[in-house]
Amino acid sequence: MTINITKIAETHHAGIAVWAGPVIVAAFAGAALVPNLLSDYASQISFRLMLYIVLAEAWNLLAGYCGLVSLGSASFVGVGAYVLVGLLDGAGFPVAPAVVIAGVAGATLAALISPAVFRLRGLYFTVGTLALGEALRLLMINVPWFGGATGLFLHTEWPSSQELYFWALALLVITEGALSIGTQSRLSVLMRAVRDDEDAASQVGVRAFRVKLGAFMVAGFLMSAAGGLQAYKLTAVEPYGMFGLQWSVDVLAMVIIGGIGLRYGPVIGAVFVVMLGELLADYPELHVAITGVILIIVIRFAPKGLAGLAADVGRLFADRYGQGQPA
Amino acid sequence: MMHATPPPGEAFGDFIIETRGLIKQYGGVIATDNVDLSIPRGEVYGVIGPNGAGKSTLVGLLSGAVKPSAGTIVYNGVDITSMPSSERARLGIGRTYQIPRPFLDMTVAENLQVALYSANPLISARNARNEIEATLSRTGLHGETDIVARNLPLLRRKRLEVARALMLKPRLLLLDEVGAGLVDSEVTELIDLIRAIADGKTSIVIVEHVIRIVRECCRQLTVLHIGAKFAEGPTTAVLADTDVAAIYLGTAHSRVHAQKTDDRPAPGEATLLPPAGAHAGEALLRITDVAAGFGQARVLTQVNLDMWPGEAVAILGTNGAGKTTLANTISGAVRATSGRIIFDGKDVTGLASHIRLQRGIAHCMEGRRIFPTLSVEENLLIAARHVAARECQRRLDEIYALFPGLNSRRSNPGTSLSGGEQQMLAIGRSLMSKPRLVIFDEISLGLAPIIMDKLYETLRQLRRAGLTMLIIEQDVDRALALADCACVLERGRLALSGSSSEIRSNQHLRQLYLGEGD
Repeated sequence: MTINITKIAETHHAGIAVWAGPVIVAAFAGAALVPNLLSDYASQISFRLMLYIVLAEAWNLLAGYCGLVSLGSASFVGVGAYVLVGLLDGAGFPVAPAVVIAGVAGATLAALISPAVFRLRGLYFTVGTLALGEALRLLMINVPWFGGATGLFLHTEWPSSQELYFWALALLVITEGALSIGTQSRLSVLMRAVRDDEDAASQVGVRAFRVKLGAFMVAGFLMSAAGGLQAYKLTAVEPYGMFGLQWSVDVLAMVIIGGIGLRYGPVIGAVFVVMLGELLADYPELHVAITGVILIIVIRFAPKGLAGLAADVGRLFADRYGQGQPA
Repeated sequence: MMHATPPPGEAFGDFIIETRGLIKQYGGVIATDNVDLSIPRGEVYGVIGPNGAGKSTLVGLLSGAVKPSAGTIVYNGVDITSMPSSERARLGIGRTYQIPRPFLDMTVAENLQVALYSANPLISARNARNEIEATLSRTGLHGETDIVARNLPLLRRKRLEVARALMLKPRLLLLDEVGAGLVDSEVTELIDLIRAIADGKTSIVIVEHVIRIVRECCRQLTVLHIGAKFAEGPTTAVLADTDVAAIYLGTAHSRVHAQKTDDRPAPGEATLLPPAGAHAGEALLRITDVAAGFGQARVLTQVNLDMWPGEAVAILGTNGAGKTTLANTISGAVRATSGRIIFDGKDVTGLASHIRLQRGIAHCMEGRRIFPTLSVEENLLIAARHVAARECQRRLDEIYALFPGLNSRRSNPGTSLSGGEQQMLAIGRSLMSKPRLVIFDEISLGLAPIIMDKLYETLRQLRRAGLTMLIIEQDVDRALALADCACVLERGRLALSGSSSEIRSNQHLRQLYLGEGD
């Protein structure tokens, strides 16, 4: 039975996956066009949501499509944040190129560490990336540069929440574009082959290292760019928060709850987790505990996450009421 | 002399791939030992050999999945010894895996696209579709384009493996045990497929246990034995060779055993064992109509077996016949899907393996399964938890008396031992729980003959002491020399059973292993 469910989820989602990028972008762009809909609160929540969608999409590209389950998201977020603050404050860059350069820094980090972490497979890769994130955090705390444990402050003018909204929307557009190309093109066939069986893939001529490196650099770019925007919003960076394990864990939880390896998974997961966070904003401990419980329930009963569950239910309805239609 | 014509088929450049002095060592174990192989261009070439002969390692070495410890590989005139597997694939070396490894969460068509898009990302969609459809119909997979590989049964998965390799337009195709686990009619289909691929331009290396495939597809054969080349030549001559038969059936050591075949206790040796054949009292183990399998693959279909106390029973059969699954089903590592297993008068069919161990069924598993993080002594003690310290020490002393080599290395890590010593440790561990029945699964696998002799001498001692044992063994001759009676498993059922001497002289056994006369 589980085998069939997997198959249904895969085939069912293939048809509507093409629309994932446009739909997500249109939703946020549309919200901005409606006057007065974006109150200060709404635009701040939306900013956070979009940032998390970017991170979750990038993580899903790695884990869901390439089999690289990373716990190193925090290192990319942190690097992006510090680079942006440095560029804005130290070199007087405008925001847009600073965010792009922050992203390039993330891609460079990915390229630099890939010879080491790609030697590790499966869980070992996960632990390797976790170690990287923690090592970078400890480094930033202990070295005297970059403000040490206190961090750095941004001395430029504070951005308005509307301005932040549009920067995040721009990054979301780039992310969805990259993801649409990455998951619907011929490249996605190679990535999924590496995910399913790296050795077998190289036996049919796939240069697995290059495929993984490409995905890792794209994900690194997006995560660091998101980290840069987060720093721009906070106007201050410090190592405990920007390199915090929470980033890595939150993003993983979102994608697993939403549906790993599915095109709509990260979005659904991000919306779910951010909404849950808002509802339980007054009870932070409860929030963490409930997220954990939900994670356990999802892994146990819906291994393809909420998106997979929705696809199954949709298929069930189609079978029951749409028997006249061709499959 | 320099212009002397080489014999036909031996001219330089007529080989698609050649190996010289190829060696692969895993730690102290030599999997491939100095192999020189020359595969003629355009031929279908067979490589056979018993378990542990190094056949799959050879496929790995040729395809680039395994890095050689020494030696060179020349493909089409190019030295590819240090070339990674992806580059070899791009040069036209395709392979299949012994256990199919399709990309499970991708459709059949996507599985084929991988090779196509990685070699030629800009191929037009129409050409890609045409090539895929051509390959699918060639391999009998048309109409399954959009099925997710996970949902394919074994034979289809094997076809998909071949199809995927064919997408490389290979000049050399390495087929690793494509026949394993297939029924006769499926083997026939497979032979037709191989013949269709062999167009004279594609060279094929078939590594195979199913002798029928080799016999019907290959003109030439190489026999590997313990990593080294044992024989080569035309297929019919090699298969008729008595030495080749001997390494399959283990009769290479028959001279040694001839003197001590009779393992019945001497009249003076006081044991309470009932004489074989005259079964007094109740059976210790009674297996009735047991079936078992994994997912869709039904490995055991209907097995019936009785064992009396003090009896030694050998389970024989070719690869994939279900020997290890039978062992696992008895010890509880695999649940029976139907049938009953009665041990000592009580039904144990539904019990977990640790409960069965407490009841007295110990299992010395295939592949030794030594805990690498535990010392030798800890490996032994773990099988005797909940046993009083003094009794534990007594049992340890017994094991050390049986295997003195273990005593001196009792505090070393379990996996720092040599292969033979690890096997001794595994046997010792299975005895620590004071079992009434021990299942020994392939204890001689991959060991040097002299070590095998030692191990079997120990089993003989245990047998004389009255231990009931089930011996699963690929070395037919050794197993028959030790056991009272033997059963031959064939595709999940017992094809033959009887006393050791009856089985030994049965022609069907040889047919089963070497596939003669079917």
